Amino acid sequence: MAKPTVRLRLVQLAFVVGLVLLLARAAQVQLVQGAEHAATAASRRTTVRDLPAPRGTIYDRNGTALALTEQRFHVGVASNELRNPEADMQLLARQLRLGLRDVRSKLRERWAHFRGPYSSLDVQPLRQMRGVHLNEWEYERFHPHPDLARGLLGRRGVPGRPASGLERILDSLLTGTPGQAVVLKDPSGGDLESPSRLSAFPVPGHDVWLTIDADLQEIVERALADAVEQFDAGGGDVVVLDPGTGEILAAAWRGASTTSAFASTFEPGSTAKLFTASAVLAHGLARAGDSVWTERGRYDLNGRIIRDEHESGWLNLRGVFRYSSNIGIAKFSHLLTPELQFRMLRDFGVGTPTGVEFPLEAEGRLRLPHQWSGTSSVSLAMGYELAVTPLQLAQAYAVIANDGVLMQPTLVREVRAPDGRVVYRHRPRPVRRVLPGEVAATLRTLLRAVVYEGGTGETAALTSYEVAGKTGTARRAGPGGYSRTEHVANFASLFPANDPQLVMVVKLDDPRETYARLTAAPVTRRVLEELLAAPHGPLDRARLSRSQVSVTSAPPGDALPEPWVVPWPARQTTDSATPRAIPDVAGLTLRSAARALHAAGFQVRAEGWGIVAATDPAPGKQAAPGTVVTVRARPASRTR
Amino acid sequence: MAQARGRLWVIVWLGFVLGILAWVVARQTSAVVTASELEERRNERRVLEGRKAQLLRRISTAESRAILIPRARALGLRPAADSELVILEALPGERR
Repeated sequence: MAKPTVRLRLVQLAFVVGLVLLLARAAQVQLVQGAEHAATAASRRTTVRDLPAPRGTIYDRNGTALALTEQRFHVGVASNELRNPEADMQLLARQLRLGLRDVRSKLRERWAHFRGPYSSLDVQPLRQMRGVHLNEWEYERFHPHPDLARGLLGRRGVPGRPASGLERILDSLLTGTPGQAVVLKDPSGGDLESPSRLSAFPVPGHDVWLTIDADLQEIVERALADAVEQFDAGGGDVVVLDPGTGEILAAAWRGASTTSAFASTFEPGSTAKLFTASAVLAHGLARAGDSVWTERGRYDLNGRIIRDEHESGWLNLRGVFRYSSNIGIAKFSHLLTPELQFRMLRDFGVGTPTGVEFPLEAEGRLRLPHQWSGTSSVSLAMGYELAVTPLQLAQAYAVIANDGVLMQPTLVREVRAPDGRVVYRHRPRPVRRVLPGEVAATLRTLLRAVVYEGGTGETAALTSYEVAGKTGTARRAGPGGYSRTEHVANFASLFPANDPQLVMVVKLDDPRETYARLTAAPVTRRVLEELLAAPHGPLDRARLSRSQVSVTSAPPGDALPEPWVVPWPARQTTDSATPRAIPDVAGLTLRSAARALHAAGFQVRAEGWGIVAATDPAPGKQAAPGTVVTVRARPASRTR
Repeated sequence: MAQARGRLWVIVWLGFVLGILAWVVARQTSAVVTASELEERRNERRVLEGRKAQLLRRISTAESRAILIPRARALGLRPAADSELVILEALPGERR
């Protein structure tokens, strides 16, 4: 037997070893497996919940919100927790806009779930109610202008309903990054009503500024809706472009068969005469003054009869445009080879998608020259055997407005990150030069003649600023060939004619009045007139005011009594008509004074601003109509 | 003497521990109060945003042409024709 000291040492050693083992185990648990155990403990008493991130806002070009995100709630009610069930049920029914009977029947169960979703305003009075739980919430799209640009904006995708429109194409930009929050769990695994701890903040999506102008969009949508109803049309489209930048300022469509102004194609008819005219002028094969014999309205082309509505004789290119002569343009097309004609159409963008940021854009139709028949060249000149979208037609007409350069159209002006940083800004992107600038200028005069020289577009004419444009009425193609009764009417226009700021295409499917001059052209006029009268809008009014006004008479059917429109700044002119007294406009605002003097037949030159103090010549003096009256105005406070 | 000193130490340590515990509880209580205040502010913000959204919708509906034009027509007004509009160009140097 060992000595007591040895035994004592052994016991001590055993204690030390035991202590070391204990420390080692503690170190293993705390240091090596600590994180794992901590995570297990946390998962038993806490749970991580994803926090949805708000979707980015969509604005129009001026910062008007078109699509915002709003927090919406689902309401859960624990029936047995309600303190005053009858009163609580009435409040629930009122706030959730449900029948009292429905609420009562749902609350018979232990846990009632009202899916909604409900706005924060709806659920606010319920927050203090015992038994009401608002733990589930989501973000929903909210449109301050409920009916504006709905087709264009589209909708975000949800299970069972695919996304559409800009919400679809811009989804990756608009979608934010979800955050995470930690909440406490009760022993049964349910969420405890405890303050949540954010572990990752939700990051909102990018905000997108569109090129759309909300005011113009509203005008266009209303005009299109009224036109479809008035002409009993199957549908229609309107596209408005800024020719200098390619920015799409408005795009609207209606009708069951119309998918969008970027996806529905049609044969344009006479609006396509522009392409043949461009080709013959650009290649020096003819000049605007060169004439062809238009056969008095009936032309037998190797057995194919071509007819004109207007029976004419010799017509130059200007006349061909003015009267929309099919025979005339067919004869001009004989000057072109199929390759030249094809190349010009292709250069204008026919048959190629524009690349606009919108889902399912159509590329239109343009066959290769070797696929053409013997009469294809003539058909193409008259706007058949090719198909374009309203956007493609607007883009092509923008070439004429933009001195011969084709611009890429766009719907997105700017994209900003949630911190306000600009991550994308649209810069005008020229695609190619299609025509020399002089040819584009010549074509603008041809298009102006259509509206102002007794042409087919005279119903689009404005009195104060000139419109240039071309009508097109084409038979609709169907499985059995071209219909004799169904037509597509369209009008492509430039405004103002001499310095275009807008290019607009109006298209109506099978309108009752058939012809574009009676349907699409008046819609164009209405849109322009309302846009001019609108306080806002995409027109550069300073630039517009410098546009030369050369219209001397009101268009036919214009019943307005006072077509007093003067160029500004006024030019000194004299008139041999009977002199008349200068009206007394002192004390009036500058605007009212100008209106009164215009109404009396005088021109106005303004000096200063505010309230009119004096005029030169003085009130009561005799002056010839057209005399420039200088109006001296001062701010209101100084005149008192 | 030694016994009294021992009691004093026990009291000091006990006081220290209780002080620490009270401090922890106070901090936790304050955190819970702050968190619930934060939640309240969030709710208020949600309510205000909801109200803003509702007002935005009402304003834009009231400003829309669909509402304004019929009302203007009922008052005998109409949108101005283009021939009735004169755009005045600011002269160089003139205040706007």
